Amino acid sequence: MKLSLNWIKKYVDLPEDLTMEKLAYDLTMCTVEVEEVTDLSESLGGLAVGKIITVEPHPDADKLRICTVDVGDMVPSTIVCGGINLAPGQLTIVGKPGAMVRWHGAGDPVEIKPAKLRGVMSYGMICSSGEIGLEELFPVSREAEIMDITEFAAEPGSSAADALGLNDIILEIDNKSLTNRPDLWGHYGMARELAAIYGCRLMPLEKASIPEYSGDLSVVIEAPDRCPRYAAVTFKNIKNIPSPFELKSMIWRVGMRPINLPVDITNYVMLATGQPTHGFDKNHIKGSIHIRTAREDEKLELLDGEILDLTVSDLVIADEKSPVALAGIMGGKLDSILDDTEEIILEVANFTAMGVRRTAQRFDIRTEASSRFEKSIEPQRVDGALAVAVNMFKEYFPESEITGFADEYPLPLKNSEVEVPLSFLSRRLGKDLTAEEVIMILDNLGFKTAVKEGILHVTAPSWRSTGDISLPDDILEEVARLMGYENFDLIPPAVILEKPINQRTVEMERSIREYLAFRCGMQEIFTYPWTEDEYIEASCLDTKEMLSLSTPPSPEESRLRSSLIPGMMKGVFTNLRYFDSFRIFELTQVFADKNYHSINDPAEKLPEMARHLAGAFVGTDPRLLFRQAKGVLEHMHRAVHMEALGFEQMTKPQWADDKLWLNVMYDEKPIGSIGLISLKSARRAGIKRSMTVLFEIDVEILHPLASRQNRYTRLPEYPCVDFDLSVVFDEKVTWAEIYETASKVELVREVRFIDEYRGQQAGEGKKSVSFRIRICSDEGTLNSEKIEMITRQMIKKMSKKLGGDVRGA
Amino acid sequence: MFEEIKEHGMEKLAESGLLERLEKLKKAGMEKISETSLPHDLQTVRANLLGRKGEVTEVLKSVGQAAPELRKVLGQAANEVKDILSQAIEQRNEELINSTSSFEGAADITLPGTDFTAGGLHPITQMCYDLNDAFRSLGFEVFSEPEITSELYAFDNLNFAPEHPARESMDTYWLKGHDEERGAKRLCLRPHLTGASVRYLQKHGAPARFVYPGRVFRNETTDARHERAFFQYEALIVDKDFSFASGKVLVKTILDKIFGTDVEVRMRVGFFPFVEPGFEIDMRCLVCGGEGCKVCKHVGWIEVMPGGTPHPNVLRAAGLDPAVWSGFYINIGLDRLVMMRYGVDDVRLFHSADLRFLNQFK
Ligand SMILES: [Zn+2]
Repeated sequence: MKLSLNWIKKYVDLPEDLTMEKLAYDLTMCTVEVEEVTDLSESLGGLAVGKIITVEPHPDADKLRICTVDVGDMVPSTIVCGGINLAPGQLTIVGKPGAMVRWHGAGDPVEIKPAKLRGVMSYGMICSSGEIGLEELFPVSREAEIMDITEFAAEPGSSAADALGLNDIILEIDNKSLTNRPDLWGHYGMARELAAIYGCRLMPLEKASIPEYSGDLSVVIEAPDRCPRYAAVTFKNIKNIPSPFELKSMIWRVGMRPINLPVDITNYVMLATGQPTHGFDKNHIKGSIHIRTAREDEKLELLDGEILDLTVSDLVIADEKSPVALAGIMGGKLDSILDDTEEIILEVANFTAMGVRRTAQRFDIRTEASSRFEKSIEPQRVDGALAVAVNMFKEYFPESEITGFADEYPLPLKNSEVEVPLSFLSRRLGKDLTAEEVIMILDNLGFKTAVKEGILHVTAPSWRSTGDISLPDDILEEVARLMGYENFDLIPPAVILEKPINQRTVEMERSIREYLAFRCGMQEIFTYPWTEDEYIEASCLDTKEMLSLSTPPSPEESRLRSSLIPGMMKGVFTNLRYFDSFRIFELTQVFADKNYHSINDPAEKLPEMARHLAGAFVGTDPRLLFRQAKGVLEHMHRAVHMEALGFEQMTKPQWADDKLWLNVMYDEKPIGSIGLISLKSARRAGIKRSMTVLFEIDVEILHPLASRQNRYTRLPEYPCVDFDLSVVFDEKVTWAEIYETASKVELVREVRFIDEYRGQQAGEGKKSVSFRIRICSDEGTLNSEKIEMITRQMIKKMSKKLGGDVRGA
Repeated sequence: MFEEIKEHGMEKLAESGLLERLEKLKKAGMEKISETSLPHDLQTVRANLLGRKGEVTEVLKSVGQAAPELRKVLGQAANEVKDILSQAIEQRNEELINSTSSFEGAADITLPGTDFTAGGLHPITQMCYDLNDAFRSLGFEVFSEPEITSELYAFDNLNFAPEHPARESMDTYWLKGHDEERGAKRLCLRPHLTGASVRYLQKHGAPARFVYPGRVFRNETTDARHERAFFQYEALIVDKDFSFASGKVLVKTILDKIFGTDVEVRMRVGFFPFVEPGFEIDMRCLVCGGEGCKVCKHVGWIEVMPGGTPHPNVLRAAGLDPAVWSGFYINIGLDRLVMMRYGVDDVRLFHSADLRFLNQFK
């Protein structure tokens, strides 16, 4: 919302030493955010009034004229100009050489320089209204018209802003910060607020004498719950003529386009008081005015030409026959102020916020009127608006006459009353306050306060009684903001040491993340909870149990993830463009359309939600990637302090390759899987030329242990001995079998896998497995005979039990 | 010693030639030792002279075959040579170790250090954990609620008017199949974190101090500054007669932690349904120090977060008596903070999974 400082000053005597910066700062701190402060005259900076003395044709150009112009200098300037309405004696706006001018009233200033136009030197430029951003105030009827300001009778050489009365400061207020302050939607309201902030004098809003008789005007409110008040005045001898410049310029500077005098008056009233008004052509209104809900099948053509199919929940203004306006939003095209209107009905009415908001939302129409009504305006405001309007019609149409008046007010609004103990304010504000202090602040804001036994009985003014003030806390806010939030000292809250915070589940999630990132070299990623159909398909997920969004980000992203696998696949796909080997993980929630349960309110049933952890290992060697991923899970319990994860083959994940997959076990139950992405799934996900091993586990099931569970074993008393073996086995023999067999040999303390090899040297269907064996004795140092004996025993077992062949042994 | 032998006039001794050989060995050995320039070569020299088959050792062995009356003198002489050489080797070895490199060839010390397979946490997780640490040191618990919630917790409990525009599907992601439902039965992806505060208070009561970071969702058109999924960090203190002025502590905890410096803040009027009074909290622009610059739009202050005292209706929804309890909320957009902290210019990068971006925060 834009506000004119000149306009505000009509209503309030601001302190004389108040700077614009201070005003904007104080308003921002106490009331609403001032987003921008603009000096209106700056947009016309560098421009001056010029008086045209002579106009001569240009010898070499039909469309150009050579003018001599008095621009306030000793000697008139020669200016070449293409304007078609140039005439001697005319006053216009001129940019002199050296002047810095903002073209179209915006952007950075540009310097005007003397220039040769078709061989003739031109010292400056005569402006059209469009060139200096004033086309709405000085509309052109033909192209190439220059601005004619002869009627302003200004001195040549004086500044354009002075000549046009455009020396003003415009404040731009953030609309969001006005949401709960309907009283500020107008210059008078803001003036009232500033008067309270600075404790200075506020002029009362004008009064008007309106004859009591109703003439032939009758108003019937059929829906008082949506229209608490409806006033209307009829004026005759009205003409649809342009407004005088002063009126035009007032509404223009705060962002409204001047239209014609009757309409401009209604807009002025709204900008002054915040109360929307509307004018109807009296000749078009048949019989009484009805404020009622629309009937099924009724239509209404709005001022902007849109034709609405009304519903029974829309409130309309109607005559005996049909709707003539959408209440509080926009007038009808056929019956509002027209070119030939001579008698108008001026509506000054109050509509409740919710109804206006619903209808405006349904038709997706936002107007100056609807946005004000949506904030909830008090019905009492009608009085002030009516007075301003009546006085303006009298002033601008001296011939006019009031021929009818009606004011239906079935639902008077009661002023809000709040009881606040003074001690409550002092405690909550951390400051001792006296009743006098508080009463003075509230009085400035228009609140009436009575004190009885330490309790303040506060009555809010009508303009703060539409919902914004209803609780002691609201009074607290009023007092605190006017005292200035900066004037309250920081009081650190006292810390009570009860017991240490021990949140193992929270810590476990963090240690999982830190383990993966810092020990396992994996990068954490985030993906969206809505999943692209393409990746759901690639992951072979069952969509039956997936939840969907009502209005998804896109039709292909309507489903909420039930697994992190699709997101991982997308993450892999995205990064394969730039990297060929990497490791990523994500730990977050997944959702399923089942197991509805309550966590707080029993009426609230939430679907199954669980935190999952997924990881991806991308590279070239599938067996190695699988072992790396498995290793990450195998060792997780040590860093995370939980029971170890196990592995078993039970059910193959749909997306996994037949040869490389495992289920991840915890507490003897499967909690996830690990596997190489199958060729089919990789193709569907667009993953080419690389191998990807994925894992996903349900983190919700893991319980953190009560404390660290690392174990200590006594260090061996006598030195242990390590030796390596390479044994060729049939492909069918598994490491698990080799390990088990080797571990059973006498004195063996440890069996560690080193490497496996497939190829010519191992032979068809064979593999060579290398491993390291550690033997230790508690009885003494191992001698070479003992070591050799155990080695022989080991080789014999490998061969006998598993058909292993130790080459070169 | 040789003089001593001569004195004894043991001519036989000279005849045997052993003494002469020892003398030569000593001379040659000393020369070799001083010529040797690598510790490794010195080992060879030692082996050649004093090793099992070394020349001095050979002489020592042959002493046994000498005439019995000569053995003692010869033995003494040979051992003397052996000691001299041994000492010389030791000394030379010391010299060489002090002056020689352990390896051969040149080395370029400007080569980069080797890479280690480093992973990393998402920059938002990092920021979130930093803040958790700061708040836990002040005695706050860390809490979270599920990402799917209901209209009851997202709006009704938080004093949002029944017709508040945030409830529209243009703003909030409602779940399919709940379109006709209201309140507890109408489910959505949580549009903000504040609903979790009521969940916590319902379970734990007051006094309470806790933080509840997490991801929230809004139906928005995305661009470099707008996202549909983003992270917030919210903190709440509830205590008896908690003055809003104390709320500044929460604000300063966050900002001082993030920016690593004492940040000046101001609180001004702001309106949010769930707080009364509500604040917009600004921090002094760190770029210009308050002088006014492009970053702060020439006002010297940057709006960083909303906050305020929980609205009595919110406390009531949480089962607390607003006449007794009050407190302070703050809510901060983590995405925006991380963007400000590092100068990230596109909020969509956070959910992009793009390692070119994420690797920068290791
Ligand atoms: Zn700045």
